[in-house]
Amino acid sequence: MTSALAAIALLFALLVLGALAAALADGAAAALARGRPAGAALAVPLRRAAFLLHQQAVTTERPDRLNWLLAPVFYVVLAAVGLSVVPFSADLVALDLETGIVLWGACESLVVVVVFLHGWSANAPFAMIGAYRYVAIGLPAMLVSMFVLIAAALPAESLALTAVVESQRGLWNVLRQPLGLPLFLVLGLSLTLRGPFDYADPYDLAGGTSAEVSGPQRAAWQVARLTMLVAFSAMAATVFLGGYLGPVLPGPAWLALKTALVLALVVAAGQAFARLPPSRMLSALWLVLMPLAFLGLVIAGVEAL
Amino acid sequence: MTILTDIVFVLLSGFALWTGWRVFRTDSMVRCAFLLMLSFIAVGLMMLLMAAVYIGVATVFMMAVEMMVMALFMVMFMMNPAGLNPMWMVHQHRLSVAAGVVAFAGLTAAVLASTLPAEPLPPGRPVVRDLGTELLGPSMLIFETAGVTLLATMVATVILSSRRGRFGDAMEGACPPGLEPGGAPAGRAESESGGGHHHHHHHHGDHG
Repeated sequence: MTSALAAIALLFALLVLGALAAALADGAAAALARGRPAGAALAVPLRRAAFLLHQQAVTTERPDRLNWLLAPVFYVVLAAVGLSVVPFSADLVALDLETGIVLWGACESLVVVVVFLHGWSANAPFAMIGAYRYVAIGLPAMLVSMFVLIAAALPAESLALTAVVESQRGLWNVLRQPLGLPLFLVLGLSLTLRGPFDYADPYDLAGGTSAEVSGPQRAAWQVARLTMLVAFSAMAATVFLGGYLGPVLPGPAWLALKTALVLALVVAAGQAFARLPPSRMLSALWLVLMPLAFLGLVIAGVEAL
Repeated sequence: MTILTDIVFVLLSGFALWTGWRVFRTDSMVRCAFLLMLSFIAVGLMMLLMAAVYIGVATVFMMAVEMMVMALFMVMFMMNPAGLNPMWMVHQHRLSVAAGVVAFAGLTAAVLASTLPAEPLPPGRPVVRDLGTELLGPSMLIFETAGVTLLATMVATVILSSRRGRFGDAMEGACPPGLEPGGAPAGRAESESGGGHHHHHHHHGDHG
């Protein structure tokens, strides 16, 4: 019981500090991509957040107010619930669920619903286009990630994340299943509405689902995206980089370091890659990434036999 | 602990019933789909309470995807692009009421007639492994048949209901309209139309 409480405390510390680090990383990466010094840009996201908290909140004509206001809340809740099955060390896990991977999958699919509701409930054209576009891209990206996760569960012979970590004592999954992490990073980009997979809130839709959102509500949405990035990074570190495994340092420290590494990778990928037109991305997802993920699953299955 | 579980169980079943009822009282297809999703999520959590740890979580997972797809398809096929426009969500009242009463009576009779297991789950029993062995062992044929049948039904439904496409009957191929009424399809060179060209001459023929 006490270890579960300690794990819950660690979980919230990771979410808050991780979201802060993600905001700083976003500022630095955006500056570096434009050839400016990163140091001065570090504070940009924080200044932007402080500005948004004082900005007036505007509204649209007859929005679905309940869903509109609750969407960022649900987003953060899904990040926290998804993170709850990630073990911080062998006996330090908030929710040691036998089907942890399936719970994470449920969080992934509910993120699609939440992002859709965020755009739909504004009752405004750009927000709605972003919402429907995100559903079309987000659902297949999620399906790809489920194939990848099932492949990672095969050597562990369990859907529990503690077992998945223990199965990597000899060899991390990033080397055992080389297709896994790159395909899973696609989900990270899609789950956090980032860079090449930002079909919900992109520039070409003037902000998409958050086009009509201002003030504190906008800040909440951005923070929610960052917390989801932290949860995703911790999950990727656990499934592919051996989670808490590592010499000398305690388990939580290793998990934090690996989470930071994945987070930096996702932030860099968000800056480095361009966005395909939605229809071409849809073809790429169904015709290239999905068969790749399935191939990975078949290879993992044959290995497990 | 057990009394707390009972309270949560009753609250969740109340929530499942309430959201299930609201499905028929709302005037928006999107709201209706997600109210149904909430109802199913409550049922999934109840299954977690009943130690069905895989089925409970998988129910939440599947229902989130299914209801999202359902909302998308309903909006696509019913030509109400936003889904925010109010519309009447119930139809065929008498038939629906009769079907509801028959289904409720049948399910209640089934529950009352069968002996339900009452003993608590022995600790340490590998429920997920047992379920997997059952699904991929004795019941595999049933589940695989049901799965493929459902998939075929979905694909067939979409094909049948989308026969009238945006540019005319889907059986004649997607063809952009002509520049003048009744003219040749716009934006296509004579050579590349191929088989579609042949169809075009029989526009008012005996297709279908």
